[in-house]
Amino acid sequence: MNVILDLCAGALLVTALLTVWRRSQRGVVRVIAVQGVALAGLVAVVAARTGDANDLLVVALVLLLKGIVLPWLLDRRLASLGALSGVGAPALDDDAPLLNPTATVVFAAVLSIGAYAVVTPLLGDTGDPAVRLTPLGVAVVLIGLLAMSTRGRAISQLVGFLVLDNGIAAVAFFSSGGVPLLVEFASSFDLLLVVVILQVFTVRLKAAFGDTDVRRLKELHD
Amino acid sequence: MSAVLTGILQAIVLLLIAPLFIGVVRTVKARLEGRVGAGVLQPWRDLRKQLRRPPVRVESGGMLLYAAPVVGVATSLALCVLLPLVSRLTIIPADLFVVVSVMLLSAIAPALVGLAGGTAFGGMGASRHLTILALVEPTLLLAVYALSIPTGSSNLSAILGARIDRPALIVSPVGLLALAALVIAVIAEGARLPVDNPSTHLELTMIHEAMTIESSGRDLVWLELGSQLKLTALVALVGNLVLPWGVAAGAGPGLALGVVALAAKTLLLGGVLAVAEVGLAKIRLFRVPELLAGSVVLAFLAVAVSAVVPA
Amino acid sequence: MTDGFLVLDLVLGAVAVLAAVGLPGARARAVVAGGLTVLTGAAGVVAGAAALSGTASAPLRIGTALPGIELAFQPDRLGGLFLLLVSGVGVLAAASGIASAHGPSGSRSGWAAFALFLLGMQAVPAASDAASFLFGWELMAAASTALVLAEHAQRATVGRAALWYAVMSQASFALILAGFGVLAGKSGATSFASFAAVDQHSAAASWAFCLLTAGFGIKMGLVPLHVWLPRAHPEAPAHVSAAMSAAMVKLGAYGIALTIVRLLPHGPAWWGAVLLALGALSAGYGILRASVTSDLKVLLAYSTSENLGLIALALGASELLQAAGQPQIAAAALLAALLLCVSHAAFKAALFLTAGSVLHGTGERDLDRLGGLQARMPQTALAFGAAAFGAAALPASSGFIAEWVLLQSLVHATPADGRAPIIDVVLFPVAVGVVALTAGLSVLTFVKAYGIAFLGRPRSPAAADAHEPPLLERIVPLVAAALVFALGLVPGAVASALGPITTGTTGGAHPSEVIGVTLPGLDARLTPLWVLALAAAALVPAVIATVVSARRAPARSTALPWGSGGVLTGARMQYTATSFTEPALRVFDDVLAPTRDVAVTHAAESAYLVERVRVDVSTEDIVERRLYRPLTRLLDGLGVRARGIQNGSIHRYLVYSFAAVAVVLVVVAAIR
Repeated sequence: MNVILDLCAGALLVTALLTVWRRSQRGVVRVIAVQGVALAGLVAVVAARTGDANDLLVVALVLLLKGIVLPWLLDRRLASLGALSGVGAPALDDDAPLLNPTATVVFAAVLSIGAYAVVTPLLGDTGDPAVRLTPLGVAVVLIGLLAMSTRGRAISQLVGFLVLDNGIAAVAFFSSGGVPLLVEFASSFDLLLVVVILQVFTVRLKAAFGDTDVRRLKELHD
Repeated sequence: MSAVLTGILQAIVLLLIAPLFIGVVRTVKARLEGRVGAGVLQPWRDLRKQLRRPPVRVESGGMLLYAAPVVGVATSLALCVLLPLVSRLTIIPADLFVVVSVMLLSAIAPALVGLAGGTAFGGMGASRHLTILALVEPTLLLAVYALSIPTGSSNLSAILGARIDRPALIVSPVGLLALAALVIAVIAEGARLPVDNPSTHLELTMIHEAMTIESSGRDLVWLELGSQLKLTALVALVGNLVLPWGVAAGAGPGLALGVVALAAKTLLLGGVLAVAEVGLAKIRLFRVPELLAGSVVLAFLAVAVSAVVPA
Repeated sequence: MTDGFLVLDLVLGAVAVLAAVGLPGARARAVVAGGLTVLTGAAGVVAGAAALSGTASAPLRIGTALPGIELAFQPDRLGGLFLLLVSGVGVLAAASGIASAHGPSGSRSGWAAFALFLLGMQAVPAASDAASFLFGWELMAAASTALVLAEHAQRATVGRAALWYAVMSQASFALILAGFGVLAGKSGATSFASFAAVDQHSAAASWAFCLLTAGFGIKMGLVPLHVWLPRAHPEAPAHVSAAMSAAMVKLGAYGIALTIVRLLPHGPAWWGAVLLALGALSAGYGILRASVTSDLKVLLAYSTSENLGLIALALGASELLQAAGQPQIAAAALLAALLLCVSHAAFKAALFLTAGSVLHGTGERDLDRLGGLQARMPQTALAFGAAAFGAAALPASSGFIAEWVLLQSLVHATPADGRAPIIDVVLFPVAVGVVALTAGLSVLTFVKAYGIAFLGRPRSPAAADAHEPPLLERIVPLVAAALVFALGLVPGAVASALGPITTGTTGGAHPSEVIGVTLPGLDARLTPLWVLALAAAALVPAVIATVVSARRAPARSTALPWGSGGVLTGARMQYTATSFTEPALRVFDDVLAPTRDVAVTHAAESAYLVERVRVDVSTEDIVERRLYRPLTRLLDGLGVRARGIQNGSIHRYLVYSFAAVAVVLVVVAAIR
């Protein structure tokens, strides 16, 4: 059981790293789907420990929303953006990050270690293997923030936001051993709303500037 | 004495398997791409054909051009004997740091041959090859570090033994991270896609082929066989780390099973490699550092996590 | 025994100086003064070996003109090792100098300064108190500055290099003086034995550590204090740069080892972290610079910075582990540092001497204009290749053993029980990564250096007309290169001799071995001779197959066998050193910050036909550009302003003296 917990947690961290490492927006969307599944697996392990039936609903919700629906929405948006421009997709597919991926991924590793250094002393000496993983959730949150602040295009920024949200959820699961269904439901709904709004926004961005590079937004200032 | 015999056995097995491994990879790729392919024995036929031809060498090359290919293939062969592939009993302790530096040595031989040719391509190949080699090195050594932490030793036989005793080590996050990093390093070191395209002769893309482009006859045979041996040994090592079962604990009847298991694992991984390569394109040379930086981070996390989280 | 040979050493050195000044003919001077310098080195080798083996001896005391101050020399084991190293390199360099020193470096002052330089270098590790140490240090710095200046009339760059070197050496002296001053102030005496009484967790001890590290760091060429190194080494004559790089900079490492092993052996962990970080920075930056430079001697100078960085890294790891309560692994890390010192002395001496031979044979240092030297200078090529093997830390060489011990101590540093402090969890993997990157890049660097200079076709007429230097100049690098392999193949003998240094007075932690190295408590064992035997055994079938094949199909050779598919590929179309490292330069673009300038000259009246494209890639040292240039500008400004104080009036100068005396009186009155 602990092995599965460790593996899911490891997958969460590695997928978070992959989102800042890969340039391809499509690849990143695929990665976020894997992360959603890993998060669902994590919740499933925690649920199996507590044996709470409500938690199974949360598992289903996480799997459906974060593993399937949101990535599918993003992927569809990418496809339609490609169709909109009518140019070969690969060139458009690559993100144009503010910081090169090598530096970002090294920075992300430093952040992960930093999360361990800062959070581990706060936890005290509990024997619970799930609580022990809390720093990892914090690391995922930090990497999500990093992705959002260094990525150039709207979709990959959105992915960063999803990583951030997954990280917060993971911290909640690790530290408290579960989240009430209602809270999870509400936060998931929020997330869905944000994604839909941002999707509309990317279409507008594309229409206005012919690109989804959010740096173009500065032009509105002038 | 039995260690020497297992060593010799291992060398012979690897010499037989290595060209076959390349043949399998090429054939599987060809079939997946809808071609017939030249058959799994074609690398063997190529080597035999080249071995009969008189090599043509540059006059100014001197002794180096005679010696470097032979030394290169010998170090690759030594690598095959050094690693615990068929049996965990090795002639000298399979210290991973020694393994890595023997690999460095076998990588230098083609680079020197490339530079000795006195033309543009050889230098170009050597330059790219060594740059990638330098970038792979941190991944390799950090992966070694991560692998050695659970056993407290960098001896490969001990690491394999620990993995047989505690299979949980293999699927632990640390083990997987280290393995992922190691696989990327092996691909880069073995000059496979997406780092190098082994079937290209286009000057913009070739790395390994550019170094050997001025070589012919047996010189080419040694360089090719050396790189085939190295790649096969490394793939076999990965196979043994993933599935440590079947490797004989010492000399004796277990060796027969060891040979069969080794051949099966290697050729199976060859098939996997071929399937993966069909779906991959070579990445730009200056994107390779990004790939390798990612693998360094994976290896670093493997080390850091194993030091932070009690095993 | 040690003191007797130290006296002999001193006498021989003094006679060498006298002979250098007194003898008239250049040839006689080279043979007599050079020969005496060789003997001076030999006496130092014996004295060092005796001290290293722990032979007891009385201190050698020399009175000075100042009452109450005398110089005392009594090397302990650590000092003995470094005395052995610098003297050994001195023997090689002086022997090579007999054949190679021409013109200014073979002049009266040239040989006298070289003998004094050697004496100064020997005095430093032999010293047993701060005053004698500083005396030797200053002698070494002054004499080597004179030697760097030797060829100032030939090249304009020499003067600037010597100025940089002099300023940095004096800064180093001042910092070490201050560091020893702090310790002497706390302990009330100047002998090294009394310094150990200082409370090592006090602020004063940390101040002393920082000052000493900065002072010794300058001598070691640690980044960002390395700027003098790539200037002074290339401009000095070959035998001088060999002695400077292989011996003198190593005394900086001796100084740090002295500080953390003998003077302040129980310091806090952060000292180790500082040293480790500084070492990692130097190793990484040094080898990166070395890999992209095309000047052979500058390349070697930056590689020195890298090697000394690795030594500092090993010393830092040792200090960290000592503080973490892992004495066995700390001893292994210290052993690694010492092995790195020994190995670097051997291969860097050979490399600088052969670089000198290449310079003599072709008049070129620029790799981009060399090529094909293997056919023209076979013995030099052999020595350079073998030494480069050691520098790249390939198996069977001394460099490999040292790096193996270092890596073993690093990977055993974090126990797998999850209780390692977080700083160790970060520092040790980073250190392993840096050592690995360094190893990879040094392979790139030295394959480049060898491959471009010695293989391929000549890239300039000078390289095509290259010739071997005189016999002695060829043999000495070969001897040094042989040492690289001797140390690499029978490392046990060396390691067991160094063992007692690493484990303090207890000794015996490293069993007396000859061919193998075992690290107690680490479950690690290496016998390089067996690795070599294995490779030789693997060579047998390959050689047999080659011989059989060669009988059936003999090789043909032509001037240009395939020519990359063309026939008109000239020597200029070969890869040069610059193009060879272009990929590395682009990969590490952010660190090296090269400036590229492309100028396209179009053919007349055409926007499409290009007549000429000129690409300038300049890879200036960014540390120098970003850190030192503003600093020197500031100092320049201050100097200009200070000019106002001097107006030539003698009265004003007298007033200054008067004011100074008055201030001193007031200060004295205030303190009392």
